[in-house]
Amino acid sequence: MLFRRFMATAATTAKTHTSDIVIIGGGPAGLTLASAIKNSPILKNLKIKLVEGGNLIEPLEKFNESPPANFMNRVVSLTPATISYLKEIKAWDHFKEERTETYDNIYAYDGITNARIQFDCPEIATMCENFNIQSGLFQRIKELNKDNVENPLEILDKTKVIEIKSDEKNKWPVLQLSTGDSIKTRLLVGCDGYNSPARKFAGIESRGWAYNRWGIVATLKYKDDAFRFPTGWQRFLTSGPLAQLPLPDNWCSLVWSTTPELADILMKLPEEKFVAMVNAGAKLAPSEMEYLYKLAAKNDETLMEEISWRLNLFNSKLKEEEYENYPLEIESIVPNSRGRFPLKLSHADTYVEERVALVGDAAHTTHPLAGQGLNMGQGDVKSLVKVLETSTERGLDIGSKFALEGYFSERYPANHVLLGIVDKIHKIYSTDSSLLVMARSLGLDAINNTPFLKDFMVSQISNK
Amino acid sequence: MFRKVAIKTNPLLLSKRFLHTSPKTYNAVNHTAISPSEMEHFNKLAATWWDPHGPQRILHKMNLIRMDFINDTIKSQLKLNEGIKNDEEKVFIPGWNYKNLLPSEIAGQIEKEQKAAIAAKYDALELKCLDVGCGGGLLSESLARLPVVSSVKGIDLSAEVLRVADEHKTLDPMVEAKLNYELKALEEVPKDDLYDIVTMMEMLEHVDYPAEVLKEGLAHVKPGGHLFLSTINRDFISWFTTIFMGEYVLKIVPIGTHTYSKYINDSEILEFVEDFKKEYEVVSSKGCIYLPACGWKFTSSSNVGNYFSAIRRKEKLSN
Repeated sequence: MLFRRFMATAATTAKTHTSDIVIIGGGPAGLTLASAIKNSPILKNLKIKLVEGGNLIEPLEKFNESPPANFMNRVVSLTPATISYLKEIKAWDHFKEERTETYDNIYAYDGITNARIQFDCPEIATMCENFNIQSGLFQRIKELNKDNVENPLEILDKTKVIEIKSDEKNKWPVLQLSTGDSIKTRLLVGCDGYNSPARKFAGIESRGWAYNRWGIVATLKYKDDAFRFPTGWQRFLTSGPLAQLPLPDNWCSLVWSTTPELADILMKLPEEKFVAMVNAGAKLAPSEMEYLYKLAAKNDETLMEEISWRLNLFNSKLKEEEYENYPLEIESIVPNSRGRFPLKLSHADTYVEERVALVGDAAHTTHPLAGQGLNMGQGDVKSLVKVLETSTERGLDIGSKFALEGYFSERYPANHVLLGIVDKIHKIYSTDSSLLVMARSLGLDAINNTPFLKDFMVSQISNK
Repeated sequence: MFRKVAIKTNPLLLSKRFLHTSPKTYNAVNHTAISPSEMEHFNKLAATWWDPHGPQRILHKMNLIRMDFINDTIKSQLKLNEGIKNDEEKVFIPGWNYKNLLPSEIAGQIEKEQKAAIAAKYDALELKCLDVGCGGGLLSESLARLPVVSSVKGIDLSAEVLRVADEHKTLDPMVEAKLNYELKALEEVPKDDLYDIVTMMEMLEHVDYPAEVLKEGLAHVKPGGHLFLSTINRDFISWFTTIFMGEYVLKIVPIGTHTYSKYINDSEILEFVEDFKKEYEVVSSKGCIYLPACGWKFTSSSNVGNYFSAIRRKEKLSN
């Protein structure tokens, strides 16, 4: 009896809403898409909801009002193209620019031969915390909502999508939410990451492979004993690239891609020894690293001493002008900032199906070595918004695959090429076969000394 | 097979199609009627009308450029400074060459202000539309989805395709309320029903007496409103692209879709409207061509192949 009464009230309070677009996922891709649509004079009157499973609004407000003293460990590289889009949708003004670092130089060097390539281009990339991006976009959405009282963007956070079904009559997706409500929508956009429920609902296959590598991230601080221009450093060890990317005030963000075994060892090390291993990884030879990993596995007491002795020896052999070819030494780490995530390549067979579009990681994931992951998602958003605008002006049903086709045909080839290049770079550098090492080092030196090739690569990296 | 087609539709064997002279024999009661064979052809297409990957894909694609033509024409006909007396408030309308003459920042600013003024004027419109020969409703639905369109009436002579259209519109709540279809001929639409937009897309080349149909359609245009039509020039290029390549070689449209002798030249439309120049004027004509893998693109000449034309009914009679 009681149960039945409970059911009865549940049934009367649960509502079915109708929407033009539902975005799943409140990450950078989802929030960029939401603000770009509401920023568009053509699209701003659409009814849009953004559904996010986690707690989003509260932490974003907190970040905006009183940002944490230390940098967070989830940091991404933004290309100039991404930044100019964020400026175009007037979100960049809400970013905390003092927490971002724009740099001009990238040094990439071989972990075996130390053959190097240097890219020098004004404002080649900007490092920015994920949370800073989300917070800036969220503030922009709030601002847009103030000017659009009739059709504000609704963010439903702490709300999980339990099930997605098709409406019996017109096949529109109906999302059953954890709050008990459901939303029927003309178009469902999955900004919901690698395991995208939206992609699964649409029955779109995603293909690719795991790299059998983990990316270890951490926030580190350089020793303040010499001057370096803000530089992105990347050393290609055979286990994977070790990247140190600049943040303001001599801070840096680490992305160390490595094998699962080595990742285990590095994650378990006490923080002080982990810092020493990062310093070793930036300079020492593969044979030395191998020895150090063995000591690290045992958490050996002599590890620190071993590393500092070897680094001193290495430094003593450097000529004065060679000093600047290597990053400064790391002095400290933000406590508990170490984290790791698995690396994989994946690409969805299509980004659009009847009533569904996929954006960002839901459509493609890549190795972080080129810092392109988030930027590809931003490119997707820009393209999708343009397609939605054109389709709306032409009076098309924006949920139909026919209206969305242009988005897929524009983005798929571009993303595919980038995924492929990054994949090849990973493969070329994950070998120690001497012939290939020689070839890649020669190639790198050759490119480094061929300005027009380098210019082309810079334009590709920065999407300028 | 090709030889047979060639003989049937050889351009050299065909005489001129005079639009401005009414044909000698026509059924006065139902002169917008289409022949039974045309009717049968469209009935066969009904089932797959709304499948953008089906035999009508090229029509779905064409619908995109139709909407562009309609939107562009309406926007270009807006009178930005109408009713504004104060010079300060007027939008500056520069000469055609201003982008070459003025510094880019100034030209950019002028363009931006002009676009904003156009958008504001356009957004305030409330347009009533009549889609003649609406078929399965591709254009009718697209028109109905525009916020500036308040209602759309679609008429057609095939009950079968209208059933498809009626069924399809119920799938989208956005168009359902604004759109209704009626099985009737153009002359059965009440004489005093006037519309801001009357459309005759890919339709005139299927009727036996296009001049009568056009005249009837123009009578339903509100002063200041437009009749939009698209059809095909009667020339070798058209025969080659629409019939030879389209129907027989690439097979992108069903065989029997076109009848060469029924094609109408853009110049014939101009000639026709010239007879009514006190009341009507052709404000825009644009050619278009289907490029496989690219879709429909506007061309530089409306005298070759497919084309669109927009006829405006003047607000006041002129001399």
